[in-house]
Amino acid sequence: MADGTEVLTEGSQGMTRQIAEVHPNVHFVADLLFENLTRFFALLVLMLLAGIMVSLLIGSLPAIKKFGLGFLSSPRWNPVTEEFGGLVPILGTISTSAIALLIAVPVSFGIALFLTEMCPVWLRRPLGTAIELLAGIPSIIYGMWGLFVFAPLFRDYAEPWVNSHIGVLPLIGFLFRGPPMGIGVLTAGLILSIMVIPFIASVMRDVFEVVPPLLKESAFGLGATTWEVVRNIVLPYTKIGVVGGIMLGLGRALGETMAVTFVIGNAHDLHASLLMPGNSIASTLANEFTEAVGDLYTSSLIELGLLLFFITFVVLALAKLLLIRLSRLEGAQS
Amino acid sequence: MSFECNNMRTESPKSKIVVRNLNFYYGQTHALKNISMEIPEYRVTAFIGPSGCGKSTLLRTFNKIYKIYPNQRATGEILLDGVDILQNVSDLNRLRARVGMVFQQPTPFPMSIYDNIAFGVRLYESLKNIEMDERVEWALHKAALWDEVKDILHRSGNSLSGGQQQRLCIARAIAVRPEVLLLDEPASALDPISTARIENLMTELKKDYTIVIVTHNMQQAARVSDFTAYMYLGELIEFAGTELIFTRPQRRETEDYITGKFG
Amino acid sequence: MVSLPTRRRLINLASQIGSVLTVCFGLFWLGWILLTLLKHGIPGLNLSIFTQMTPPPGSRGGLLNAIAGSFILVMVSTVIGTPIGILAGTYLAEYGGTGWLSPTTRFMNDILLSAPSIVIGLFVYEVYVVHSRHFSALAGSFALGLLVIPIVVRTTENMLKLVPNRLREAAAALGAPQWRIIARITLRASRAGIITGILLAVARISGETAPLLFTALNNQFWSSNINRPMANLPVTISEYAMSPYKDWHDLAWAGALLITLGVLGLNILARTFFRQSRAGN
Repeated sequence: MADGTEVLTEGSQGMTRQIAEVHPNVHFVADLLFENLTRFFALLVLMLLAGIMVSLLIGSLPAIKKFGLGFLSSPRWNPVTEEFGGLVPILGTISTSAIALLIAVPVSFGIALFLTEMCPVWLRRPLGTAIELLAGIPSIIYGMWGLFVFAPLFRDYAEPWVNSHIGVLPLIGFLFRGPPMGIGVLTAGLILSIMVIPFIASVMRDVFEVVPPLLKESAFGLGATTWEVVRNIVLPYTKIGVVGGIMLGLGRALGETMAVTFVIGNAHDLHASLLMPGNSIASTLANEFTEAVGDLYTSSLIELGLLLFFITFVVLALAKLLLIRLSRLEGAQS
Repeated sequence: MSFECNNMRTESPKSKIVVRNLNFYYGQTHALKNISMEIPEYRVTAFIGPSGCGKSTLLRTFNKIYKIYPNQRATGEILLDGVDILQNVSDLNRLRARVGMVFQQPTPFPMSIYDNIAFGVRLYESLKNIEMDERVEWALHKAALWDEVKDILHRSGNSLSGGQQQRLCIARAIAVRPEVLLLDEPASALDPISTARIENLMTELKKDYTIVIVTHNMQQAARVSDFTAYMYLGELIEFAGTELIFTRPQRRETEDYITGKFG
Repeated sequence: MVSLPTRRRLINLASQIGSVLTVCFGLFWLGWILLTLLKHGIPGLNLSIFTQMTPPPGSRGGLLNAIAGSFILVMVSTVIGTPIGILAGTYLAEYGGTGWLSPTTRFMNDILLSAPSIVIGLFVYEVYVVHSRHFSALAGSFALGLLVIPIVVRTTENMLKLVPNRLREAAAALGAPQWRIIARITLRASRAGIITGILLAVARISGETAPLLFTALNNQFWSSNINRPMANLPVTISEYAMSPYKDWHDLAWAGALLITLGVLGLNILARTFFRQSRAGN
C-alpha cells in the first residue's frame, strides 16, 4: 500500500494477517527524541543551579572588587557613605540558626523517639501526620505570632528574668544582657527553633524507621529496656542519618526569611548580647533590597545572598552525602 | 536433537522456531548451555523442570524481551520461520508483534478493558472505530472473556478478578494477531477453576497459533501440551512428544523429575 | 546503692518521661500558634474579605485582589514548573542507568529543594526583572516555579520507580517502543502519585513570601497583568503586619488564617487523594 502498510496474506487456515510495516526507523527516531527531551530537562535542573551561582557571582562583583575579603569581617553598614560589610548579617544568620538548632534538635529527637518507640499504635499515624502538616505551615505565620504574641510576652516576663539570672553568670553572661525589647537575635532564634522542630522531627523519624525491626527485636528479646535499645542499637545504626537530618534542618534554618525578619529587629549594629536587635542575611535582603539605591548597595546585598547560598549549599550537600551513606548502609545490611 | 512424535497426527509438523547452540548469560552467569531444539508449528510445547533450570530464560529469548536489561545476552541462533532473530537487530518491535507473551502475573495496563486490548493493535494498525470494536470483541471471544466483560468494557482492567485479568492479558496478546504465543507460567497465580479455563483455552488456541508454555506443574504439562522439553540447570535434557516423555522417558534425570524423586 | 535492674528501669523511665515532655513541649508551642491564628484571624474573616480590595491605611476593606493575585501566581508557576519537573523526573527514573547525569541531577535537585527561597527570588530578579525592567507577576511565577520543580522531580521519579517492571515488560512484549511504554503505560500507572506531588508543591508555594519580595512585589489595586506587579496574599500580609495600623493588622491575621487553611487543606487533600488511589488499586 502507498502509506507503507503491507498486507500479508497467509494461506494457512484461511487467516489473513495485516501487520503494518512501520519502518523501524520511525520508532527509533521517536525513542531518541523522547529520551533526549527528558535528558534536556534533567540538564536544565542542573543548569538552573549553576545559573543561580553564576548570576549571584556576577551581581556581587562590584562589591567583591570594592571590599574584597574584608566584607566578611566588617561590621559597617552605611548606605550613605557606601561602606558595607557583612559581619552583622552573617553572625546573625549563624547565631539564630545555632540557637534554633540547640533547642530544636533535642526536642525533635525526643519527638522522633516517641513516635518510633513509645507511641501507642492508634496514635502513631495521627501524630505523625500532625507533625508533617505542622511542617507545612507557612513561615510567615510564625513571624506574625512571634511579633504580636511572643515578643511582647518575652519582653515583659522572660527578658528581665534572663537579664538578672543568666546575664550575671560568668563567661556566658555577656550574651544575655540588654534592655528588654522583646525582639532581637534571641527571640528570632527561639521562633526559628519552633518552626524547625516539625521538620527535623519528621526527618529523624524517617531515619529511625530505617532500623530493621529484627535487630531491635533481638535486643528486646535479651531483656533490654527501650532506652537501651535506642542508645545501643538505633542510634549507632542511624547516627550518620541523624547527623544528616540535623544538617538538613540547619540548611532550612539558615535560609529562613519570614519567621526571622519580623522579630530580629533589623539593626546593623554589632552587639555581643543576643538580647539586642540584629540582622540575618535573609532579613537584610528582605528588608532592604527593594529600596537599595546605587550599584554598590545592591551589589553588597547580592553578595550577602551569594554567601547565604554558598553556606546553605555546603551544608545541604554534606547532609545529602551523609543520608546517602545511611541508605547504602541500610541496603547493604538488609 | 531430534524429537519423536507419537501422537495422532499423520504428518510431523514443521518447525516454527529452530534453536541452535543457544547460550545465555546474566552478566557472568551462564544460564543456558548450548540449547538446540525445534518448536513445532500449531502445537503446544511445554518447558518443564525444577526452579532455576532456565525454562523461563529460554522462553524469553524467543521474543528477545531480555533485551530490556543491559547485562543479559544471548549467543547462537534462533530461527523464526528460517530467519535468525538473534542477528536481526533492527525490527525488535516487529518481532514482538509476531511473538506474543503472557506473563506469570496478570499485568493489566492502567486503562479500560477496551483500551488494554486496543493498545497493542494501535501500535501497528490504524483501524476505524468499527474495525477496532470488532477486533476487541474477537480477541475477547478467543480468550473466553467476552461474555463476562462485554458490558463493562469501559471499566479499568484492574477491576477484574485475577483469572479474568489473565485472560485479558491473553486477549491483549492475541489481538495483535501474533504467530507464536509464549506463556510463562500463566496459571500459577490463579485458582483451579481459572486454571482449567486457561488450559482449555490453549487447546482451542493451538489451532491458530504456535504455543510455548513454561510450567512448573507437571500435570498441567501432561494435560495440555503436545510436546514437552525437560530442562535442568540450564541444559535441555530431553525433548519428546508429551505422552512419550511421561510414559517412557529416555533419560534417567527426566524420569527422576517426573516421578517426583526431586523437584 | 541502687541495684542495677532498678537503675536501668529508672533510666528508661526518665527517658520515656523526657520523650513525652518533648512531645508536649513541641505541641504546646505549635498549638499556641494555631490558636493565636484562629483567635485573631476568625474575627477578621467576613464576606468583605472576598469582595473588597486591599484598602489604604485607616479604612476598611478586603483581600480580594490579593487572593486573586495569589491564585494566578500559583497557577502560572504550577503550569511552568510541572512539565519541567515531570520530564526531568522521567529521565531520572527511566533513562537513568549508568553515567554521571542522573546521580548529579538527583543530588542537585535535592539541594534545590531546600535552598533558601529568598535567594531564588534574588536569582530571578537578576536574570529577569533587571532585563525586563519591571517587577512582574511573571517573574514571581518563575521564582515560585523554581520551587515547584524539585518537588515534582522527586515525586515523579519515586512514583515511576514504584511501577513494577512486569508492566513495562508486558507492553514491550506487544512490541511497543520505549517512548510509548513510558508515556502511555508507566507515567499513566503513576498518575495518582504524580498528581499528589503536584498538589504538595502547590501547597508549598502558596505560603511562600520571600521569593515574591523582589519579583512580583505587591499591588494595592486590582491587577491582572502578568507583566506588572501583582497583588498577592503573602506579601500583603507581611506589609500589613509590619505596619502600625490596626485595620491592617486585622486583615493580616485574616489573610494568614486563609493561607494556613489553604495550605493545610491542600496537604490533606493530597494525602487522602493518594491514599484513596492506592486503595483503589
